[in-house]
Amino acid sequence: MKKSWKSVLATVLAAALLAGCGANGGNSGGADSEAAASGSGGSGEAKNVTLKVFIGAPRFKEHFDKFIADFAAKEKAEKNINVSVQLEMPNPDNASQILKTRLASNDAPDIFALHAVNEIPSFYKAGYLEDLSDQPFVGKLLDSVKPSVTIDGKVVAVPLETLSWGYLYNKKIFADLVLTPPQTLTEMKAVVEKLKANNITPFLLSYKEAWIPQLFLPLAVGAIVNTENPDFIERMNKNEGSFSEMKAMFDIIDLVNANGTDKALEVGGDDGAAAFANGKAAMWVQGPWYAETILSANPDFEFGVAPLPINDNPDATMINLSTSTSLAVSPASKNKEVALDFINYVLDDKASNAFYQALKFNPVAKVHTFETYPWVNDAMAYVKEGKAYQDPSMPQSVKDEVGKGLQAYFAGQIGQDDVLSALDKAWKAFNKVNK
Amino acid sequence: MPLKRYKKYVSLLMFTAPAFLLYAVFLLIPTLGGMFYSFTDWNGLNKSYHFVGFANFAEALGEDSDFVHSLWFTLKYVVFMVVLQNAIALLLAVLIETRTRSKGFFRTVFFMPNMISIIISSFMWTFVFTQVLPQIAEKTALAFLDQSWIGNPSVSFYSILIVSLWNGVGYMLIIYLAALQGVPQHLKEAAVIDGASPFQRFLHVTVPMITHAITICFFLTLNGAFKVFEVVYGLTGGGPGRSTQVITLNIYEEAFSNNFRYGYASAKSVILFVMILIITFIQISVMKKREVEA
Repeated sequence: MKKSWKSVLATVLAAALLAGCGANGGNSGGADSEAAASGSGGSGEAKNVTLKVFIGAPRFKEHFDKFIADFAAKEKAEKNINVSVQLEMPNPDNASQILKTRLASNDAPDIFALHAVNEIPSFYKAGYLEDLSDQPFVGKLLDSVKPSVTIDGKVVAVPLETLSWGYLYNKKIFADLVLTPPQTLTEMKAVVEKLKANNITPFLLSYKEAWIPQLFLPLAVGAIVNTENPDFIERMNKNEGSFSEMKAMFDIIDLVNANGTDKALEVGGDDGAAAFANGKAAMWVQGPWYAETILSANPDFEFGVAPLPINDNPDATMINLSTSTSLAVSPASKNKEVALDFINYVLDDKASNAFYQALKFNPVAKVHTFETYPWVNDAMAYVKEGKAYQDPSMPQSVKDEVGKGLQAYFAGQIGQDDVLSALDKAWKAFNKVNK
Repeated sequence: MPLKRYKKYVSLLMFTAPAFLLYAVFLLIPTLGGMFYSFTDWNGLNKSYHFVGFANFAEALGEDSDFVHSLWFTLKYVVFMVVLQNAIALLLAVLIETRTRSKGFFRTVFFMPNMISIIISSFMWTFVFTQVLPQIAEKTALAFLDQSWIGNPSVSFYSILIVSLWNGVGYMLIIYLAALQGVPQHLKEAAVIDGASPFQRFLHVTVPMITHAITICFFLTLNGAFKVFEVVYGLTGGGPGRSTQVITLNIYEEAFSNNFRYGYASAKSVILFVMILIITFIQISVMKKREVEA
């Protein structure tokens, strides 16, 4: 009896083990055979190419599927290449992790998405980005976007999602009180006073997630670097500068903190978006990337984007232009020709317009002529006046540090100088690690 | 005879092989790999890296004030958790054991939170702390409930404790209940006849008889408390600033944000591993000696 139990157990275990292996094998095998099947469907002499595309944005899957199908049809018609695309769309939280593992293990996707401002420098340095400077799409890029995907004078990625931001304001409150977005810090103080006189909280504070207070840094540094202190970032990279030069940024931070909503450290981004949409405050230092959340909380809500004044120089009050998701080509790609075709197709004269519109991205190239959202138009108006700058390129660790520092500063645990010296330290550590 | 012994080992090996294989592939090899990387300056992306000897360890313990702070914060959390979790679980177990008919009901109720994933319960509690409690404070006169539960660093430590205890007590409770049921009835009766008070009976009969459970529970709570991550991540994210940052969160941050210093983060993980190893080793060896047999 005992023996028979043993054998039953052993069989079950072995079966389970085999089933586990089988499931894995089945998955990858399925993808391969599918690719092979679609390949062999074409005419005899057609070339078969499987393109691996890695984009950590599952919310756009439908749009990309359609776009890729169009691309495959075009390649087939023009070059007689059967392209089958293996589209990998992991969750954005761990996409960057997976991508790095794949790159480090020599299993690079042909085309992958990365964050232009944050990730291009380190990826470029590690040699994972193909130089795309001589590709046709480069000529189509808007001048305001191009610098964000350029490094060492080479264009290394095609921008997908771009951002133009400063702070958001409630258009209805501003219209009711006949206010216009202030151009200097003094004007901002007047606006704050007027809002308070009308029992409206001027600023929404949502500091639970460290990246939100962090937003002050790119805004303040961007404005100061583009007016009075142009070589700050260069000097910081050489260990010669100090954030004490940027102490002026606390003028606006203190103003916002002193005139904000309660319990800021318990409000996250989504809660903040809902509160802002319901008119809890007139302004929110935040980018329009929350547009969807805000509008889902209150579909009739009208908000605008305006540049945040950080001192009394109206020329320093500028919109921050930044690029996040961009597509790059791996130099190790075996199908580089098709990969480059795809990259160029992203900014294709005909297909690109509808694609960017469907994704609700901002225009990045001259071929984009679609109608944009009101808040994008607001920001673009400033950009056209030349009141905009490229998101300053600061190490991610410094941005993380400032978020935490400003949280602690808000909680009253540390002072201004502590925040600034922690930033200096973080930048020095970055220089040390990345020399 | 030797043939039989040989056979025994083969069957033993065959039974453990599947588990051991998975264990080796998914735990043992990565762990050894992590230890290897802790001596390098790998950044998780570059193909090349350099050996830096013990520099990572020296930096973590010597210069990295954030790491040292998170270390002390974790130790404080461990002390509170080990004491409170075991005390509350034992107390509840003793109380439940005195019930007769409602025993199953209470056991289920107290064990229930343990079945919810920790990250979900911390998000639930975030809602309770930020929305429900202030509302209750507003509707009733219980003004003390209107705290900045997760925004104020001195309060948020206790918020983290509350959620961890709510989640973790149930499991220890079950272990203690089982142990209490194993205490021989005749010893208790003998103590009653000798005129021992209920408290004396508990201290001198019950506690020695459940020492093995106490050893296990201390081991589990100690181990778990050192590795706490989800509760803090879900409730405060280590904030405001770094005031509630635990070691694991510090390591996570070092590796996956900041400067992506995988090697350095691995070194910190090794430090954590060695710390847990030493402390649990001491705990086990001390407590094992106190166990008695009926």
